[in-house]
Amino acid sequence: MTRPLVSAVRLRKDFQTGPITVHALRGLDLDVREGDFLAIVGPSGSGKTTLLNLMGALAVPTGGTVRVFGEDLAGLSRRQRADLRLRALGFVFQAYNLVPVLTARENVEFVLELRGMGGERRARAEAVLAELGLSELADRRPGAMSGGQQQRVAVARAVAARPRLVLADEPTANLDGENAEALLRMMRRLRDEQGMTFVFSTHDPRVVAHASRVVTLVDGLVAADEDRNGPPPEGGAEDGGAARA
Amino acid sequence: MMSTLVLKLALRGLGRNRRRTLLSVVGVGVGCAVALLSVSMMRGAVEMRVRAIAESGMGHARAVPADWPRTRESALRLADWRAELAALRAAPEVAVAAPRARSEGLLGFGTRVAGVELLGVEPEAEWALSRLARAVNRGRYLAAGDSSATVIGAGIAERLDVGLGDDLFLTVVGADGEMRYDMLRVVGIIETGSKDIDASICHLPLAELQRVTERAGAGEITLLLRDPRRLRRLVARLDGLLPAGDAVIGWDVIMPSMGGDMNSDRAFMASLVVIVILVVVLGVTSAQLTAVLERRREFAVLLALGMKGGRLAGLLLLEAAGLGLAGASAGLVLGTPLVHRLATTGFDLRAVMGEEFAMEGVLFDPVFYGDMGSWLLPYALLVALGSTLAAALYPAWSALRTDPASALSLREG
Repeated sequence: MTRPLVSAVRLRKDFQTGPITVHALRGLDLDVREGDFLAIVGPSGSGKTTLLNLMGALAVPTGGTVRVFGEDLAGLSRRQRADLRLRALGFVFQAYNLVPVLTARENVEFVLELRGMGGERRARAEAVLAELGLSELADRRPGAMSGGQQQRVAVARAVAARPRLVLADEPTANLDGENAEALLRMMRRLRDEQGMTFVFSTHDPRVVAHASRVVTLVDGLVAADEDRNGPPPEGGAEDGGAARA
Repeated sequence: MMSTLVLKLALRGLGRNRRRTLLSVVGVGVGCAVALLSVSMMRGAVEMRVRAIAESGMGHARAVPADWPRTRESALRLADWRAELAALRAAPEVAVAAPRARSEGLLGFGTRVAGVELLGVEPEAEWALSRLARAVNRGRYLAAGDSSATVIGAGIAERLDVGLGDDLFLTVVGADGEMRYDMLRVVGIIETGSKDIDASICHLPLAELQRVTERAGAGEITLLLRDPRRLRRLVARLDGLLPAGDAVIGWDVIMPSMGGDMNSDRAFMASLVVIVILVVVLGVTSAQLTAVLERRREFAVLLALGMKGGRLAGLLLLEAAGLGLAGASAGLVLGTPLVHRLATTGFDLRAVMGEEFAMEGVLFDPVFYGDMGSWLLPYALLVALGSTLAAALYPAWSALRTDPASALSLREG
């Protein structure tokens, strides 16, 4: 059995909104295994983004435990959590969130620079962009790119440092069908060729169609955990994948 | 350490909102220019005051008997004035060394009398030392070889109703406590424009004063220094040339009230500079804080990607430093012409002070000049960088408190 990269046990997360306590996660159990292409789905308010934030060491739980690469987040300082994110995690955000004053290559380089990579980081950034078919965007700033292009660069930024786990929050929410499909193929290829693990929080059936595993959250708990045997074959996402979703 | 990428990010960050950056640069530049002008005035005032004190005959420093600062007794004499004078004149830091002695006396002419402080001088040295000696406008100043001659102020001449060539009757108390008398011929009359000073000048040859008072030696050696800005260090160094029992003191000890006034002036101008800097800091802080709030999401992304808080703060401080450098340049562009004008054309104080430019026996120039020099550049950088870096501290702290999860999760899924 594949060992879990992330292990959540009776995970709880509460938010205080004025006098009201919102229970976003209510004792959730979940393992994320190496090589998963996992889609977390569920209605709004079910706790998808909260779960993703906890897996990404962006927040700490109110109760229960979440271990990321074996490290209990509750025992880590802010700095140690930043180290963990830098060392082993990649993020793709819904609104792309590229640094607007840096070019595509510089955005990718920036993550490598944060990891302490020296002179070779420019070559590495160019190699990653080329690998993902984005070389022509290298010198463009985000303002001069379409949403789909920006999101692909965001993926390049997320995977440039070869993280073991990439967390993507609604990555296709702002993309049209063609761009969304290209993006998902790109990420799946990274999973297949480089063994990266992807976790998506999504409402998008196109993402679900590509997923190897679909976890459904309802009211902060896992309502269903469907483990498929790998993603659909190349070119079959629209048909089989969508049908399975 | 900041990489070129972080430097790029910081510099390009300044260009995001050009109008805000420009306004901040202008604000820092104006504040910097006001600070430069204030410092120029402060330095000019200090220099003018020191020069006025020195050239009014007080000197930059004096060799005196060690007890003199406490007793201010004019009868005290230096231990070995000739040897001390030779040593001080040989010191490269000393431009002029003038031996002197003082005594109280009474000048009489006919039925009129005037109490004066007699100043026994070595004429050539006094000419080089004091602008009063050079301010003779009737007759001449004392010369080597003169005896029984005196130069008096116009106020004394008027009071005694005497002119050039008149012989004055001098009465002093000798070293033995007995009254001593002498006749002094008026060879010159000094008119400085200050009634107080003109009513107190009575110079005579040092040897003549020694003879009539029967007190040998000199009571002081007054010094003009080549670099009076190094007063403290030079006083300590020159003091080491004197035998025990004598000491070198600075003008601020000779005239403590003048030193106090100067410290007050410095404190006032420094307060003005601090107020200007505070206003600039508040303005820039406000602009920086707005920028940080606008970029909260971007900072959240950087933190989520693993950027450490210290590096994020460094990024913002680097942006502030860029703003500071631009502000310093603007400050120099705005301030240098003003400082140049103040340093070359000056400001005529007669308009605000009338015609009297003497205080405590010190004759001041009627036109006040600011100081201009290579100090402008470091001061501009200090003020501008200090302001912008101080202004960036709170916004940087605020950016560090960004919670990436809440800043990025605008919706809760």
